[in-house]
Amino acid sequence: MSNKKERMWFKPTFDFDQCDPPKKSKEQAISTSVSTTVSTDKESIHSKINNINNIHHKSWMKKFDPVTVQDLAIHNKKVQDVEEWINDSCSSNHSHMLLLTGPVGCGKTATIHMLAKKHNIKVTEWITPIDIEIPSENGEFEFREKQSTKFMDFILKAANFTSLLDDNTKKLVLVEDFPNTFLRSPSEFTEVLHQYKRRAKSPVVFICSDTHTDSKNTAGSLFTFSLQEEFEIHHIVFNSVSVTGLRSALKRVSELISKKYISFYDIPTSDMIECVVNSSAGDIRSAVLNLHFACLKGSKCDLETSSVIIKETKSKASKKKKQTSSKFLSLGKDQTVSILHGVGRVLNPKVIMDNNCQRLSYAPSDVIEQFLSHPSSFVNFLAENYLPHFSSIDHVDKAASALSDADFMLAEWREKICQENGLYVAVAGLMLSNKAPVSAWNPVRGPKNMKIIYPSPREFPALDQNYLHKGRVLAIDYKTYLHIIGSNV
Amino acid sequence: MSLWVDKHRPKDLMKLDYHKEQAGRLKNLVQQSDFPHLLVYGPSGAGKKTRIMCLLRELYGSGVERLRQETMNFTTPSNKKIEIMTVSSNYHIEVNPTDVGIHDRVVIMDLVKNVAQTHQIDSSGQREFKVVILNEVDDLTKDAQHALRRTMEKYVATCRLILIANSISRVIPAIRSRCLTIRVPAPTENEIASVLHVVCKKEGLNLPSELAMRIAKCSGRNLRRALLMCEACKVQQYPFTSDQKVPEPDWQLFIKETASMILSEQSPKKLGEVRQKLYELIIHGVPPDVVFSGLLCELVKNCDMAMKCQVASHAATYEHRMRLGNKAIFHLEAFVAKFMAIYKKFMEESLGDVF
Repeated sequence: MSNKKERMWFKPTFDFDQCDPPKKSKEQAISTSVSTTVSTDKESIHSKINNINNIHHKSWMKKFDPVTVQDLAIHNKKVQDVEEWINDSCSSNHSHMLLLTGPVGCGKTATIHMLAKKHNIKVTEWITPIDIEIPSENGEFEFREKQSTKFMDFILKAANFTSLLDDNTKKLVLVEDFPNTFLRSPSEFTEVLHQYKRRAKSPVVFICSDTHTDSKNTAGSLFTFSLQEEFEIHHIVFNSVSVTGLRSALKRVSELISKKYISFYDIPTSDMIECVVNSSAGDIRSAVLNLHFACLKGSKCDLETSSVIIKETKSKASKKKKQTSSKFLSLGKDQTVSILHGVGRVLNPKVIMDNNCQRLSYAPSDVIEQFLSHPSSFVNFLAENYLPHFSSIDHVDKAASALSDADFMLAEWREKICQENGLYVAVAGLMLSNKAPVSAWNPVRGPKNMKIIYPSPREFPALDQNYLHKGRVLAIDYKTYLHIIGSNV
Repeated sequence: MSLWVDKHRPKDLMKLDYHKEQAGRLKNLVQQSDFPHLLVYGPSGAGKKTRIMCLLRELYGSGVERLRQETMNFTTPSNKKIEIMTVSSNYHIEVNPTDVGIHDRVVIMDLVKNVAQTHQIDSSGQREFKVVILNEVDDLTKDAQHALRRTMEKYVATCRLILIANSISRVIPAIRSRCLTIRVPAPTENEIASVLHVVCKKEGLNLPSELAMRIAKCSGRNLRRALLMCEACKVQQYPFTSDQKVPEPDWQLFIKETASMILSEQSPKKLGEVRQKLYELIIHGVPPDVVFSGLLCELVKNCDMAMKCQVASHAATYEHRMRLGNKAIFHLEAFVAKFMAIYKKFMEESLGDVF
């Protein structure tokens, strides 16, 4: 802690008192926005504090943060990649740029922070401020300054000037929280990059999380391929954390628990760790959170972990010995499924035998849960692609009838229940009607654009121009005959 | 040169070729200087618009024939700019609100408001109200129809609405009760034939009555189509012969082709091909209900009585669902699949009987 304290600009009065941990730690949690991660210090404090205070402690999840580069759950090769880049770019006085992408919770930010700590580099991070002032007299909100201007000022200053109290010479600018204005107008972002390239003297790292939906994908929309080329942005893609990586990270956490926090955690069993690994889908952050929740000793009532864990058997066909592993149902991440994936699950339904009764491996209700927000587009995809999977017209009849029902229900968009039921009818109808599926590779096609193009009155000079023509009448009455009449005039 | 349909359109209520009694009543209606909102309905090509224009001429004089086209701009609440074509004279304005799809409510409200707020300049012998003609009212969204209901009452002093629809079953009862509903039935085949004779006489052509009857039959009691067919016949071959070919609309041929595809093979693969055909029809602006009835007519030709009944009942079910749903193609496809299943079973059974 002492190290940290010397660097602070001023010392709040309550900071002198080492015995006032809750207040102090809150303060610290807020001030960490522009600071390096110093988890070791916190841990030492934590051990002194009693249980109850600890539970209300704001940064309780920081105590399991990795301390050294070796603690990271990421593959060594990736870490080396990033390390090499940091070494290269921090040694020169140029404004190199790095883009890190990967799914949420795969340790992108942690890697940067750990490596910076290892090489004694100061990381300055941009946090988008709240830019609305108190409403003025006539009740309108005023904006102080454009977000993009602020952002540019910040990163340039952060890149070029060292703090007076800093003994570091190496700096790194980190941007994870992109101001919204750039998402609306990417050209502004290009301008900022131009300025940065010209004037800044430190490297910058951009971190973007991949998302399934295209509209929210910052990496995709901001860092287009041409932009990456123009500014020579180095791009490193992280994968989600492997099972072994998760396991070793959680093992480290459980060691930490047994050493320091035995007073308010149960020591996690290896079964429990396995559960957490299975339910977190490669997300280290959610894995640690889940473990925290599962191991917590109840402070008031005794929260038994067994009540939380619901076992779900999952057979792994690849192994000789049928190994069952369990998974939290109430905890853990949702497995998001892309639309193409969902289409595949519906059109190639797999039936598994379970206690002598047949069961679909993906229940229709599980599938529709993923697509409740956009039911009609999913149904359109299904309708476009279901035919090649069927071999008998009788089954198609049932399926088409189900789709027709579904469309009828989906048309009532004011009722949420109709949307849900409509989607269910379509999904279940398609899954159950196909008794003799064709097993062949069928590429998934997008729904056809059904924009109706009526003939325009201008195409036919013979028409009375001062008459208001209806599109459908032009299409079904006039079109043929005007071609015949027009051809001979 | 203009088309026969436009050239020989009657301009006076008394010169109409059929439904003469109704024409007389309409004349009486406007002679009392005022009339209620009208809802004119009837099948396509029966002469709804012709009657309305005659009515307006009776009301305002020949001034209504000086038409001009205008593009009007509207802004939706979500700040989307939409534009729509209108045709208007000094006394009336006509618009197809369905051209703008789901934004029809905005068009109706703003348009009627605009028209109703500007009073007629008071010159002698003119009415103190303007007329707004709205086409395809039955295809309006429910929202727009409810908006219409309010507007109709609010601006009744300064404007009259004339609504045109194919069927009133999809017009909400609130509107139906606020309007005088006038049905314009389709002309009979004989009436169409006599109109064709009159037109040909005016053009100085000699039309054999057999050909006139055949055109009338082909047209499906749609006078506009009949006149266009007749003119097309003249272009293809003149002097007329009584056995000459009457050109059919191309979409009808396309539907026939599709129907024969359905009858040739009943398999999911064939259904996939049929679907492409249906897509094409819909994209080119053929209304799905026309596709439905066209397919049904072609398909039942190959069925025995018991099956006919079954197929027609299924067609009705799916057609009804299509009206309530969003994607016409789903229901068309479901109908085709249903027919294929029934037809296949039928074929297999009849083959089984042979052996």
